[in-house]
Amino acid sequence: MSKDYILGVFKDEESLVAAFEKVKEKGIIPLEVYTPYPVHEILHGMGNKTRITTAAFFYGLFAAMGILAFLTWAATLSWPMNYGGKPVNSFPSFIVVTIVATILSITILTLFTFSIRAKIFPGKVPEIFHERATDDRFVMVIDKKSMGENSAVINSIISEYGEIE
Amino acid sequence: MYNSEVRGRLITGDKSLGQISQEIIAPIHAKTPPWWYGAILIGLIMFGIGAYSIYITLTKGLGTWGLNSSVAWGWDIINFVWWIGIGHAGTAFSIFLLILRQKWRTAINRAAEAMTVIAVFCASLFPLLHMGRPWLFFYIFPYPNTRGPLWVNFNSPLFWDFVAISAYLLISASFWYFGMLPDFATIRDTAKSKIKKTVYGIAAFGWTGSSREWLRFEGLSFVLGGIAAVLVVSVHSIVSTDFAVSVEPGWHTTIFPPYFVVGAIFSGFAMVLTLVVTMRGLYNMNDFITDSHIDAVCRVLVFISLIMGTAYMTEIFMAWYSGSEYEMYMFFRNRIFGDYAFQFWAMFISNALVPQLFWFKSMRRRIWVVFIISIIINIGMWYERYNIIVTSLSRDYLPSSWTSYSPTLIEIGFFVGTLGMFITGVLLFFRYIPMIAISELKSVAKFDKPRKEQLKHTDHE
Repeated sequence: MSKDYILGVFKDEESLVAAFEKVKEKGIIPLEVYTPYPVHEILHGMGNKTRITTAAFFYGLFAAMGILAFLTWAATLSWPMNYGGKPVNSFPSFIVVTIVATILSITILTLFTFSIRAKIFPGKVPEIFHERATDDRFVMVIDKKSMGENSAVINSIISEYGEIE
Repeated sequence: MYNSEVRGRLITGDKSLGQISQEIIAPIHAKTPPWWYGAILIGLIMFGIGAYSIYITLTKGLGTWGLNSSVAWGWDIINFVWWIGIGHAGTAFSIFLLILRQKWRTAINRAAEAMTVIAVFCASLFPLLHMGRPWLFFYIFPYPNTRGPLWVNFNSPLFWDFVAISAYLLISASFWYFGMLPDFATIRDTAKSKIKKTVYGIAAFGWTGSSREWLRFEGLSFVLGGIAAVLVVSVHSIVSTDFAVSVEPGWHTTIFPPYFVVGAIFSGFAMVLTLVVTMRGLYNMNDFITDSHIDAVCRVLVFISLIMGTAYMTEIFMAWYSGSEYEMYMFFRNRIFGDYAFQFWAMFISNALVPQLFWFKSMRRRIWVVFIISIIINIGMWYERYNIIVTSLSRDYLPSSWTSYSPTLIEIGFFVGTLGMFITGVLLFFRYIPMIAISELKSVAKFDKPRKEQLKHTDHE
């Protein structure tokens, strides 16, 4: 346990959520909550929002336009080829490559976005508050400074549902 | 609320979250069992046979294969389509069952995705070697080159195929890997040995399970899941256009894309079943992969088998209905009674008839029956590709170009090599990677227990 934080350690999802809601009622938002699997009440309650889906949409939009433009340019302007007398700009058959290559671009760009925004990348040294947070404990980290006068109340809420470490 | 046990429990044995992680990680911490060494030796020997066949193919050329000017596609393309088909199950499992909110997917999706990545890798070797001069493989990339620039033919399904397969390999591998980050972190935090801590720590990319990470992780899974669903359908549709746009009797039909996609999922699910039954037997995972999980996959298979049967009958009906004598000949004479009638009937019986046994609960509950049927389906799906490729090519429009085809030892060796690669890959997966998605399984564990609020709710009423 460090000097600046208190850790509320819970055994199951329900206790964590119950304690989390009560702590929030006191106007305190925990610094971070560590869980072995995503708990939606926490994800919403922490007040963070992710725009990764919006980003993915725009990656897809621009990738699709870029790829289609490239195919059209390469087939009609750069080096027009006669394939069995078919029109040089055979738009419908460009769609196939456009879809697949767009999906590939979205995947790669979204992975990089995730990596940057969630700070998950090879070689990162993790800051581990509680060793069992990836196993079977639900850990709420609260900054002592943010508690102010409420510290006694918060401590009692945490002890009601779990343990303070 | 629904408290009835229609589906059976997701995890049996009333396990705590800690027990779930311990039991799934146990094979990684345990001593390597002797059978594992034996099995990987067999896998590596088979791989060696494949490597030798590839060496001969590269040094002597494609003449070492049994292909000829009529049957220019043989075992190479059969095996390619077969492996790609198997490779469809992982993504189909994770994505379609995710969309359908099937919670039982969580116990099986990791193994299915691992299978996908290995199978697609095996598949990609075949077109590469079939190019004849694989060292000029980069010609297929549309890059500004010194030949004009002469671009590739964007209208060719073979180019679509190249784009689709490489995209599929990359996407399924990254989907699989990023899904494993939380589990690698679990191993890192529970391991006692320093080496494991370091290695899995590097593999976990610094995952801690914070709400910020989970939030984005969910966003990422949502995006990748959504677009991979499109990919599952499109990749095998594209593979089918390799055939469907050729003006060959038996190939030139519009039913091919859905027929191929369904066939791919069919063979993939069968291979998942083979793998999962093996995994259950070898590692005693019965509490996580319960009888009701196996039952569910069997039910899916019986349904897909009906679609397969319908597709076969539709092809035959269309051959008659089209009034084309070439189509009539291909389906009514050549496939059913011709030189390759055995392959046709092997396909029909194994894919459309044998899986109907899964209608009976007594069959679905006998694990050895399930295992044998899953193997039969795998073989049947291989014969389906043989039937499509070889019967059509060996008897096309001109009787003067009619010929027969049989594989050489080199082609067989190449296939054996990919089987060896698959076995080796699966064994490495068993040994070093959590076979079941631990964090996903934990997230569904609560559905087995009556929830407090739920009880309150029922009391109230």
